[in-house]
Amino acid sequence: MRETIVGPFAGKFVGHAVRRVEDPRLLTGEGRYVDDVQLSGMLHAAFVRSPHAHAHIRNIEVAAARRSPGVVDIITGAEMETLVHPFIGMLALKGLYDPRFYALSSKRVRHVGDPVAIVIAESRAQAEDAIELVEVSYETIEAVANASDALDSRKPPLWDNRSNVLFDFANTYGEVDAAFAGADRVISHQFKEQRVSNQPMETRGIVVEIDPKSSAITVHAATQSAHMLKWVLALLSDRASIPASIKTLAINRDRVTRFAKSAKAILTAKPELKEPSPMMPAMVKQFRAEPSRFVDLQRAMLGLLAKSDNDRPEVLARDIGGAFGTKGSASREDLAVYAAARKLGRSVKWIEDRNEHLMGGGHSRDEIVDISMAVRNDGTLLGMKVSLTLDQGAYPAFPFGGSMFSQIIRVMFPGPYRVPVMQFNGKVVATNKGTLVAYRGPWAVETFVRERMFDMVARELGITAAEVRLRNIVTMAELPTPMITGPMLDVRMSAHRTLVDAIAIADYDNWPAAQLAARANGKILGLGIATFCEAAPGPPDFFEHSIPGSGALAGIEPAKIVLEADGMVAVITQQVPHGQGHETTLAQVAADQLGIPIEAIRVRYGDTKITPFAMMGTGGSRSAAMAGGVVTFAARELKERIVDIAADLMEASREDIVIEAGNVHVAGVPARGITLADIAVEARRRDQNAAPGEAIRVAQEFDGGEGGWTQATHACWVEVDLETGQVAIPRYVVVEDCGEIINPAIVDGQIRGGIAQGIGQVLYEKITYDDAGQFQTGTFMDYLIPTACEIPDIEIHHIETPSEIEANYRGVGEGGMVVAPAALTNAIENALAHLGVRISEPYLPPSKILELAGVIQTARSTAR
Amino acid sequence: MKMRGFEYHRAATLDDALATLSEFGDDAKVLAGGQSLVPMMAMRLSSPAHLVDTGKLTTHDTITETDGMIAIGMRVTHAALEQSALIATAVPLAHAAAPHIGHRAIRNRGTVCGSIAHADPAAELPAVAVSLNAQLVVRSTRGERIVNAADFFHGYLTTALEPDELLTEVRFPKRGAIAGASVHEVSRRNGDFALVGVAVHLEFAKPSTKKGAAVIANAGIGLFGLGGIPIAAVEAQSLLVGNPTSDDLFAAAADAVMRNIDPMPDNHATAQYRRHVAGVLTRRALADATNQALAAS
Amino acid sequence: MNSTNSRIAVAITVNGTAHELQVPARQTLAECVREELGLTGTHLGCEHGVCGACTVLVDGQAARSCLVLTVQADGATIETVESLANDDTLHAVQQAMVDNHGFQCAFCAPGFLMTIKALIDNQAVLTKATLREELSGNLCRCTGYASILAGAEAVLGLTGESNA
Repeated sequence: MRETIVGPFAGKFVGHAVRRVEDPRLLTGEGRYVDDVQLSGMLHAAFVRSPHAHAHIRNIEVAAARRSPGVVDIITGAEMETLVHPFIGMLALKGLYDPRFYALSSKRVRHVGDPVAIVIAESRAQAEDAIELVEVSYETIEAVANASDALDSRKPPLWDNRSNVLFDFANTYGEVDAAFAGADRVISHQFKEQRVSNQPMETRGIVVEIDPKSSAITVHAATQSAHMLKWVLALLSDRASIPASIKTLAINRDRVTRFAKSAKAILTAKPELKEPSPMMPAMVKQFRAEPSRFVDLQRAMLGLLAKSDNDRPEVLARDIGGAFGTKGSASREDLAVYAAARKLGRSVKWIEDRNEHLMGGGHSRDEIVDISMAVRNDGTLLGMKVSLTLDQGAYPAFPFGGSMFSQIIRVMFPGPYRVPVMQFNGKVVATNKGTLVAYRGPWAVETFVRERMFDMVARELGITAAEVRLRNIVTMAELPTPMITGPMLDVRMSAHRTLVDAIAIADYDNWPAAQLAARANGKILGLGIATFCEAAPGPPDFFEHSIPGSGALAGIEPAKIVLEADGMVAVITQQVPHGQGHETTLAQVAADQLGIPIEAIRVRYGDTKITPFAMMGTGGSRSAAMAGGVVTFAARELKERIVDIAADLMEASREDIVIEAGNVHVAGVPARGITLADIAVEARRRDQNAAPGEAIRVAQEFDGGEGGWTQATHACWVEVDLETGQVAIPRYVVVEDCGEIINPAIVDGQIRGGIAQGIGQVLYEKITYDDAGQFQTGTFMDYLIPTACEIPDIEIHHIETPSEIEANYRGVGEGGMVVAPAALTNAIENALAHLGVRISEPYLPPSKILELAGVIQTARSTAR
Repeated sequence: MKMRGFEYHRAATLDDALATLSEFGDDAKVLAGGQSLVPMMAMRLSSPAHLVDTGKLTTHDTITETDGMIAIGMRVTHAALEQSALIATAVPLAHAAAPHIGHRAIRNRGTVCGSIAHADPAAELPAVAVSLNAQLVVRSTRGERIVNAADFFHGYLTTALEPDELLTEVRFPKRGAIAGASVHEVSRRNGDFALVGVAVHLEFAKPSTKKGAAVIANAGIGLFGLGGIPIAAVEAQSLLVGNPTSDDLFAAAADAVMRNIDPMPDNHATAQYRRHVAGVLTRRALADATNQALAAS
Repeated sequence: MNSTNSRIAVAITVNGTAHELQVPARQTLAECVREELGLTGTHLGCEHGVCGACTVLVDGQAARSCLVLTVQADGATIETVESLANDDTLHAVQQAMVDNHGFQCAFCAPGFLMTIKALIDNQAVLTKATLREELSGNLCRCTGYASILAGAEAVLGLTGESNA
């Protein structure tokens, strides 16, 4: 399945594997990643971090460290609390307690790697030298090392003498008890997903540049959302008292006026924001229970209001070395580095090292799910009961972490299947581990558990894994139909077709015979399938079903398209690509609308000074649909404006103007055409107020329109060596439908990359803490990213369900990673089924395989 | 992840290197290829005050044959070992082990003597040295001594080397007329240190005219990843010698291997796993080495 | 640690340019090319010799520049990713990767490109399977490797044979 590769192309670009615009830059060493930012006089930061899982800080002695060569300053947690506001959780949900915490810990550490001081020195090496001289006296506390500890009320609380269950919720959909009472069988199982980590090849990093003359702040950052980072840093930095902020505002009335003006503009543009937020009641309750929370929030907000432009940063995100979700948060370290640079008035760089990134740079998964399926003997699903426990570690990710993921897990649990009734109970717990962040489908546990459970149900009932799915999956004829949890599955939701096709491609019906024949020859083979759908971006109200009240801010995608004075077209997006190739795909989309070559388009991103405001950045498999959509419509508007001018210049009717390969001409007479540069000159002549370098500017927003789903079925074959426990993957097939494909090479790359991470999760990757909360996987020799030898060839079969919808693009960023762990684990269980093996956890290193197969005795694990 | 500072000594001659080691003793470390030492320093797990760089001692980069021994100088890299025609013919076990060592970029810099002196129990070459009972030539300003591999490895990352001593050469015995070698290892990923590894060298008596299984004249089994040091499977070796090959014999040898080891668990594999797979790989390696020897004879 | 600031003379040739430098003993070759010479195309992914992002050529052979001290490279000839393209003409390995959509975020790319360049220069005899082994010292977290392998196979002339 080698893709067709095309070069410069004069016709339609969408649908072709156009070569990436980014590549000449990135493959010659001309890329500019955050660590490549080198400023004269720049200082370097490193963090003093806790070696303990859980401890009181009794004293910090920094005098010796301050004398270490090159040290400029050391800021401890206590001082940091005078410089910044605490992180305050932004979600107000019934049953949620969201702790407040500072960039550095001053009184207590809550995981190995918890930062307690920041050292600023002339070089990173010197900062690390000084770290060794900082003496911190700790008094250790019993660790809450895992979810079962968190549920044990005898264990010490992490936060404010509250239960370590920070969020407890329950949703009932339909008459669950009746459905279960009427079932032939109720089949139950407990599943776990181990903690894993995104681990992009580039760690997190930030350079806070302070202009020595103007003191203007530019934050160079590896972030998935430049505007989010800008406003979080602006909100939480420069801690001032409420009276001080009010005084500042009294002196600078213009700041209040300006704020009121922009607030009014936002409310005019988004009238739905005027409605009282569904979060309000829970928020009020939060404030009543904890008045200091209200004070902290008001203090931060007033401080933000009182800031001058120069006291707020502009964020500049250029090339980014991958993220997969982990750079979608504003980290405690980001804020600490920012505060240190502000305090010193000097530029400061912090590049996280791999050990730090493994400890605290973002972990994911780490759930326990108890599930019961009520079924008929023929495999018909009558209902599900699901109980989720999500271990989000010590510090919730900001602005969104485990509590939000738990809600998407709930909404997505039915997947593309008919689930008549469902009970969903959830707990998000605090433990002495690193922060849980989004990782390529942060809700993926729903697919793992559901698709594993279907296999178990099939075995119990004596039907095949294909049969149980076919009996329950929503067929195209039933569409549109809502999921029991709310979101609408529209007429393009083709999961059923992907399943049927995959079954045929896999020759599934003949598998049992093939498997038996192989076993007779001593070969242990397995075949697993798994099906899913993902909101990419989902229906327009998808967010409302997850977090009521979040849709208005989250669901909007803006873009600007500018005909520049030189005749080039700039696509200006709030997306912050970090490997997805948006410079190419958004140019393809715009080029087709405008009738110009890709080379005539520049995609600009990552700079808060020029990009339109939105908090979402790049993530959640949203770019293709959201950015692809808004660029389509904005480019079309720009074309109209170009045609207006061209019609005047050529004294022709608008309808007769065509643009082909950048040539603007009257239909039939391309030889007498003009260029976009000519149009730009005329446009600038007409619009004396055009910004410097610009001729025509179009700005649009897009709410996702019909939205929609991406769906796929994966089929995975394995061969298991029952002597060594090694698993080989001789074949892997994907059948997927993401709508119209903008660039097949990029789509296939996203799918394959996701599957590689899924294979990693099953066979190689585990973030390990021991029973005392000690961290065990601090190097790349401990946390194992698969290499080229571990990832098989992957066949991809695309389906495109026809649709009249314009810009029928849907995302594929997360799906590979969401489905692969289920498909691979199902295959391994299928291979070992004759030994009576049932698999509950998708971490299957060779030891575990032999334990499951009964070849070796199960050791009490040294770590979990 | 930045290493601590240290005093750097670039040795111009071997005597120069030995003099520096003699002067600083325990405070000094030898920097050979640096592929094990540098990462440990980067993580500040090792922070020598003095580093003695032997990189300029390029006259020690030869592989030569003398008196039935193949001598590998201290500057010979893994890549040179892998590519050496002399090693391929005369020390097939070292040749078989070389491609398993890390990745190409590691093999280009890392040295044979450096790996043996570092004594990682999960590394290939220390086990090869034990399997072949290599002679390790050790120099200091006090003179030269030869330590047998059987006596060299004392514990996790510790050896018979005194603080002022330098491993300048490793000497492997040249293979006999009918010999086979095989290295089997299981690692989590391609190129990782072994969870379990077995390095087997077998020599056979001259084939008798009558048909029948070949008789093992000499056997070396080096185990890695299975304890604090590379292990010679002494009991298994003695079970093999003097006997004709058979599946039962190899199974008995594998049992002996499993009985005599006390592997440690870690996050990558349990002790039970390591013990079991040590037996599996011993059988596989013995069969491979036998097939190789007899096919070539 | 009083020697932290002492500097050592090193003569190295990087991408054809000879440099006489005074460097701290603890400086790695990766830090040297990135910080002293401003050649930021070489990336640091793990700084402990596992990920391969920092791979450069030292005297024509692939080496991890995070595991080589600058002082060890005295007298050596170094090639980094910046040496590959000739003005506007990409090196064959770069062009093959562009043609095959080899990379995504491309943070790992310099390491892969230099590893493959060494295979080309050293006329390595490879199959598709041994190519995987040769590239297994370079981690990529984005692609699942298929596109990188396709690019490498193309430039190494391994496109015809089966994947054995």
